[in-house]
Amino acid sequence: MSRIYLPLILALLIILQGATANLIPASFDAAGWIVVIHGCFLFLVLIKLFYDLETTYYALLAALFVGLIIDIIYTDIIGVYMFSYALMIYFVHGMRKLLQTNFYVATLLTMVSLGLVDALLYFIYHFIGVTQLEMVDYLTYRLMPTVAINLILFFVLYLLFRKTLIKWSDERFDLEKSTN
Amino acid sequence: MSFFRRKRLFSILLALIILVGLIGFSLMNRDQRTSIEEFFQDSFGWAQMIVLKPINYLTDVVSNIDDMKNMYDENRVLKENLGQYQKVLYEVQELRKENAELMGALEKSESIRDYTPIHATVIARSPEKWFKQVTIDKGIQDGVQKDMAVITAEGMIGKIHSASQFTSNVLLLNGFDRSNRIAVNVDLSDSDQDARGFILGYSEERNQLLLEFTEYYDEIPEGEFVFSSGLGGVFPDGLEIGQIDEVSTDQYGLTQIAYVQPSANLDDLRHVIVVDRDIETVFDDDGEDEVEN
Repeated sequence: MSRIYLPLILALLIILQGATANLIPASFDAAGWIVVIHGCFLFLVLIKLFYDLETTYYALLAALFVGLIIDIIYTDIIGVYMFSYALMIYFVHGMRKLLQTNFYVATLLTMVSLGLVDALLYFIYHFIGVTQLEMVDYLTYRLMPTVAINLILFFVLYLLFRKTLIKWSDERFDLEKSTN
Repeated sequence: MSFFRRKRLFSILLALIILVGLIGFSLMNRDQRTSIEEFFQDSFGWAQMIVLKPINYLTDVVSNIDDMKNMYDENRVLKENLGQYQKVLYEVQELRKENAELMGALEKSESIRDYTPIHATVIARSPEKWFKQVTIDKGIQDGVQKDMAVITAEGMIGKIHSASQFTSNVLLLNGFDRSNRIAVNVDLSDSDQDARGFILGYSEERNQLLLEFTEYYDEIPEGEFVFSSGLGGVFPDGLEIGQIDEVSTDQYGLTQIAYVQPSANLDDLRHVIVVDRDIETVFDDDGEDEVEN
């Protein structure tokens, strides 16, 4: 089941990102806030935390693909999202070995990795010259609202998908163990 | 253990090299996208058309409700304007007829003013706010090509940044920089000549376009309309771009610049028109003339 549903959910999240610009209220723009929804990244973190085992890298593989597709269809510079998403999922993978996965750890890990992924995007885009935004402005106008909004989205995704992901993970990997 | 660390370091370095390579590849001045890019763009474009339709419909309904609040006032103003339009319409018809006769007398059949409209719908907008891009549902198969101008009923909104077979990306005016300048004319009402200049880019602080004049003009009234002049070789003549808000000089005081308020609303786009110029387009990057169609 998970082999079909997981890519489908990720594809749907990529598609929905194209509509987020319409859904973010105009008052945010007026206040100068730049909010970027990282719905796919949040779901990838969930996959990493609840679906992957410590020895499997499905989330990392998915991060590479998702990043590449976002790069192609929404920006015209290939590789930036791909690199940032994959690197940060790898970071989550490393942290997961050290920490237990309960709600608080998951929230904290998401906040940190989300902040890092957005900062990484900013650094690369700033380096290439896509944005001329100053560091201080970036922190106040983009990083903080982005992390706040995405965290709300993370809670929603967490409640919706945590149990399902654990169930799929059990089905998939127990099956493999029993056949081996 | 040290072996694994070295392996990890090695793969991150490899990833960095691939990243730099890919960025370098995509920053190259490309005329045509690779077929892999076109494939992803088109297949996700189709999925977006289906999935986002109800969402776009919903946002339309919400904004329509907002519009209804102003309906009474707008209606009154529009009725007043309508009387004037009749007069202008008659004038335009007469001028068109006269223009056609004169062009016939000169045996000149096409001008840089003529274009074929390609109607398109916006299907998605880039979630990364630093890329001022929207995706439309018409591509190379419908006659869309790179660098064509894109307009709405109110005025110009941008140009085609990259075209795939069935969808294309539009770079909006507020994402323009020095590498995509637009040659423009400003109507000076109290003199015969038009003021000429270039749209150089977008000022983030003022949320307005930056216009640089090629010569020094004594009197440029604020509120004059800015039109594309068609001399840049890509866009047709006479597309409305915006209205002059303030005239000043640049930071060295040598050239005259103006801030232009775009006529079209760039935040709320739904139906757009891609402008296919009838006269042949001159691409200056490869030094030879290419004929469209």
